[in-house]
Amino acid sequence: MANKLIGYVSLFIILILLQSVVFNQICLFNIAVPYVFIFFIFRLPININLNLLFLLSFLLGFSVDIFSDTLGMNALACTLIAAIRKPVYSLFTPKDDDNDIIIPSIKKMGYSTYILYAGSLSFIYCCLINVIQAFSFFDVIMLILRSVASSILTIIIIFAIESLISSGSEKRL
Amino acid sequence: MRNLINFVLKHFAWIAFFTFVTISLMLLFRFNAFHNYIFLSSANSVSYSIHSVKNSFTSYLNLKETNSDLLIRNAELENRIIYLQNRLSEYELQEYNDSIPDEKLIPGYKYIIAEVINNSISKPYNYILLNKGKADGIEPEMGIVDHNGVIGIIDIVGEHASRAISLLNPKFRLSCKVKNHDFFGSLVWGGHDPSTVLLEEMPRHVDFEKGDTIITSGYSAVFPEGLLVGTIIDTEKDKDDNFLSFKVKLFTDFSQLKIVRVIKNDRLAEISSLNEHQPK
Repeated sequence: MANKLIGYVSLFIILILLQSVVFNQICLFNIAVPYVFIFFIFRLPININLNLLFLLSFLLGFSVDIFSDTLGMNALACTLIAAIRKPVYSLFTPKDDDNDIIIPSIKKMGYSTYILYAGSLSFIYCCLINVIQAFSFFDVIMLILRSVASSILTIIIIFAIESLISSGSEKRL
Repeated sequence: MRNLINFVLKHFAWIAFFTFVTISLMLLFRFNAFHNYIFLSSANSVSYSIHSVKNSFTSYLNLKETNSDLLIRNAELENRIIYLQNRLSEYELQEYNDSIPDEKLIPGYKYIIAEVINNSISKPYNYILLNKGKADGIEPEMGIVDHNGVIGIIDIVGEHASRAISLLNPKFRLSCKVKNHDFFGSLVWGGHDPSTVLLEEMPRHVDFEKGDTIITSGYSAVFPEGLLVGTIIDTEKDKDDNFLSFKVKLFTDFSQLKIVRVIKNDRLAEISSLNEHQPK
């Protein structure tokens, strides 16, 4: 239990640092930005207390916002994605008993299901971020293009990180 | 009463959810209300130190371009020194004739050199983080230029760091004019391409040509007159047909900002206090 806690705390900090130092500087073809830090939300146990889930997601988005001067934008999108995480998860997986702690991972769900789960959440997240940004510039084609490109890039990187963690030390997280 | 408490306990998660959504929306749309809280922007000390560590690694990557840029600039300046020395000796001769000094030569501006430690060009509102702050004499509303032209204006100042609104930010409008004309317009970013901006509100009756140089008008007290901005590459009608607007290609490459100069205007306080007295 303590191991898991340390694992989550370090994942939280590492993802925020990576996002603000590395991934925020990437802007492929001027449209695709990877939002890799939302991997933390994907990784939280499915039957976690809802209050805790919302608090953690909000803090995650808020921290990234402070580093990248987009106050409120990622915080809002993270809170929204946290709310739809469980319905999206149960959409792709068969119903099993809720008693044991389920951490969404490739090992647990298999490649295809995990891609569906992480992919649809990433796509929704990128749409949300771009719609929130679009309050200032409205351009539908650009909006769709940015969302699709960003989510593809995000999924690829998240999938790489997930494979790395899953194969290396499944017991630790 | 008990029912109410039960109801609240049962739906507490949703109350938490809507609280967080409300806080985010407040931060998103009322950021100006939080302008005084430096810890909410990237000029705070933690963010600043992380970004400067990152910068100490990444600054090596652009050294080659920076170096060649500086060499070119150096050559230009040497040419200019020779030219100016020639002019100076001409003027020294003239000075015997009329001993009245030229008013325009009196400088009211000073420069502070600063390094860019974080910069974005892809977001709808772009900001630049500099490594100089209050301790180095930087104050809000100072202009920033680099060797190619105008870059932005200081927005929030921390003790050793400051954040600037980039020219690539629709919150920033710059009063500009076409070189050798006195008609002035307002320069604003279109929101997509980091290398072009729009010059709006130019009169229709004057002929301007592609390739004309755009310079600052000097009406804002932040930037002196005559700083380079860019060249006209395209002409288009403004929304209301009474004015022209130009597509302007910037001289500055915003993706490669490194060393910049912050302009300190000694008379800024005086001029802005005069502006406040204007009848509304």
